[in-house]
Amino acid sequence: MNLERLPNEEKLSLCRKYYLGGFAFLPFLWLVNVVWFFREAFVKPVYSEQLQIKTYVKRSAFGLLLWVAVLTTWITIFQHFRAEWGEVGDYLSFTIPLGIP
Amino acid sequence: MVRPRTRKRNQEAEPGRFPCQHLLLCFPAFQTRKMDLLSNKWIINLIVCLFSIGVGCNSVEKKIYVHLNYTVPCVRLLNATHQIGCQSSLSGNVGVLHVLESEENLDWVLRSGPNPPYLVILEHPLFTRSIMMKLKSGSSRVAGVAVVASNTVPPDGFSPHTTCPNENSGVYSENYDPALAHCNVTVWNPLGNGLAYEEFDFPIFSLKDDNDTQVIRQCYMEHNRAVNGTPQYPLCAMQLYSHMSAVTDTATCMRRNDINFSISPEMVCDPLGDYNVWASTRPLNNTAKGHKDGESVVIAAARLDSRSFFFDIAPGAESGVSGFVTLLAAAHALRNATQESLPPRNIFYTFFQGETFDYIGSSRMVYDMQNDQFSVDLDNVHSVLEIGQVFNGIISSLYHVSRKNSSVNDEVRKLIDNLQSAATAAGVSADEPSFSQPLPPSSFQRFLRDRQIPGVVIEDHQSAFSNRFYESMYDNAEYLNVTYPPNLTPEEQLEFVTDVAKALTEVATMVAKALYMQAGGVESQLSNIKADPQIVTGMLYGFLVRSNNSWFQQLLPSDLISHLADRPTNFYVGVAQQSSEPTLLVQYLLANLTGTTPNITQEDCQNQRENEKDTESKHMFTYMWVQGAAPPNSTKREGFCVRSTVRLSKALSPAFDLKEFTSKDYSTWTESRWKTIKGRIFLVASHELEMLTLGVGFGILISSLLITYIVSSKADMLFSSGREPTNATY
Repeated sequence: MNLERLPNEEKLSLCRKYYLGGFAFLPFLWLVNVVWFFREAFVKPVYSEQLQIKTYVKRSAFGLLLWVAVLTTWITIFQHFRAEWGEVGDYLSFTIPLGIP
Repeated sequence: MVRPRTRKRNQEAEPGRFPCQHLLLCFPAFQTRKMDLLSNKWIINLIVCLFSIGVGCNSVEKKIYVHLNYTVPCVRLLNATHQIGCQSSLSGNVGVLHVLESEENLDWVLRSGPNPPYLVILEHPLFTRSIMMKLKSGSSRVAGVAVVASNTVPPDGFSPHTTCPNENSGVYSENYDPALAHCNVTVWNPLGNGLAYEEFDFPIFSLKDDNDTQVIRQCYMEHNRAVNGTPQYPLCAMQLYSHMSAVTDTATCMRRNDINFSISPEMVCDPLGDYNVWASTRPLNNTAKGHKDGESVVIAAARLDSRSFFFDIAPGAESGVSGFVTLLAAAHALRNATQESLPPRNIFYTFFQGETFDYIGSSRMVYDMQNDQFSVDLDNVHSVLEIGQVFNGIISSLYHVSRKNSSVNDEVRKLIDNLQSAATAAGVSADEPSFSQPLPPSSFQRFLRDRQIPGVVIEDHQSAFSNRFYESMYDNAEYLNVTYPPNLTPEEQLEFVTDVAKALTEVATMVAKALYMQAGGVESQLSNIKADPQIVTGMLYGFLVRSNNSWFQQLLPSDLISHLADRPTNFYVGVAQQSSEPTLLVQYLLANLTGTTPNITQEDCQNQRENEKDTESKHMFTYMWVQGAAPPNSTKREGFCVRSTVRLSKALSPAFDLKEFTSKDYSTWTESRWKTIKGRIFLVASHELEMLTLGVGFGILISSLLITYIVSSKADMLFSSGREPTNATY
């Protein structure tokens, strides 16, 4: 879909849908929202719906960063301590590497 | 004649790599957008070029690598607390070959050599604990080890086993005769260096001294020998694959076996185990388990298995074969006597599997007896007579435990008297050890753990093992002196009675007589009990030289003939899912040596019955249809039915049934699974040359991309002469 061809109201509603959709544990929707609507929010000349779009994009970006931070921390901890945790580590794993603890 | 050809392959290795890199030059041609005649021609050329390379790729691989034909790895085993054995990385360990000449030469590998990591080639005399431990501690510079087995037995003895076999699983412990525990009184295997119980994080392979090793040596001599200090590239390198799936310990790997919610659930290890073989002189109802009233059983035991440092070489000549061949011969010697006058007590000929690994077979049988899963229970057991290592047939030692319990002591005394009178009659000397000693490692210890049962273990040593190659690859026919005069055909070798066979026959006669007396048989039969040297020598030939011989072929059903092989039998117990060759052979040998041949049809025989109405016999007997021999003027074998009391019983450690993977009472040994075991040699270029080649390739790729881009953006200018723009197609 080409954003250029959409009327401004539809842009806003689309941006809102992506923003709300992201709350269903779908951080990638927020990522798409941020990338897709960045120009609309911050580069394009001012239009009436832009303020609202800007808020959605900012919040999406914030949520996304939060996800990234949480996931990175967890992955680091998990990879570092999986072997130490033994049984718990194995049950938390989806695929267990062969031949290493 | 093989040698020159493989050498040539080796030399061609370096140029062989280059054709593939031409691809880098050709690929960008695809990106030419404008289709004109010129590029059409290019594409056709390119396709032809690609096609020929695709077809040729196989031979390029052959030009680069020389694969090793005979590779025996050391594999990873795990128990409740440890992992032992060896493993490579997933993509194989690569190292520059270094043939180790002496222990001092290790310095090149561990410190001074300029091209680490090294793959060390060892002659067997250098396969010692001190060298292996140095390599282990310097493992960042060691990619792997290949041990060239010598064809002759080393003179000083060699045992990779521990000095105190099955130290923690026998009867002696902190609670039971602590003074005798941990080999405090007698160190049974003083030559043991414990290598087979070490963990190495690089692969170790065994190579036979043959063409492969010649190629390796020559490759090393031509490329890797340091002339004026440093060797020149290209260098000869070897890659060994033996990546093991399991890790840490049995509890971990058994848990990972059970986790199956991943996309591709994968088994990582299997418990060691097999089947025990047993037969009784008087048929017993095998379907009814547990205590049998009025039944009194003398257990005659021997162990079946052995091991060595490497995975599938375990000849176990003295440690296993000498004992169970003696028991088989004794069982055969007792067949006629028991048929004529059945002694009041039953005799169980029992062959335990997996005894090397903390008494898997015997601990399972005792466990089954305790839980009424076996045909008799421990109350039915009258006494135990175990045959250990009896290669040196002249001197036999009788080990027994002396306990305060006087009734047991009296029984032991009787058993020893029986044995000694039998020994005198058989012309063998059998004495008690000169000083009070614990029992040597033996299955009997597992019975004693449960209760005081009178019993004796027969061995050929007074204190430490006389076997200088306990659980090693040299405990073989040559060490046992099972050798034949030159120019004998395999048939003649099978018949030829060696001195060892004669000695073992005497021991077998002694065992048979003692068993008969122990079972309460009549004196008058004793003189008729005599083991047959022909049977003993045949079995020694079959187990130590070649199981694929005419005699063994007659004793097996036709569908199992494929298990016979033209090499010595491997007595490593293996994993529980597969029944191994020794179990199968002993099962059929025991059936043929103790059983009878009733005149019944093949169909009835295979259905475990005497005739169509018979439904009872299968509880008492086992029927086997074996293929038999061909009559002199025919090629068709005449099969026959063997009726015997031979049964198999599971030899899987109870720890796996109880799911107690950290058990201290039962064996917890498992074997890791693996995917590839292979080795290959090839020439490697220097690191700089490799990087340069890669860099040039990238350079060409980038520049051709650039040229293509420029050409395509200036296409109108370059190709417009006298032609319409090709917009009609869009």
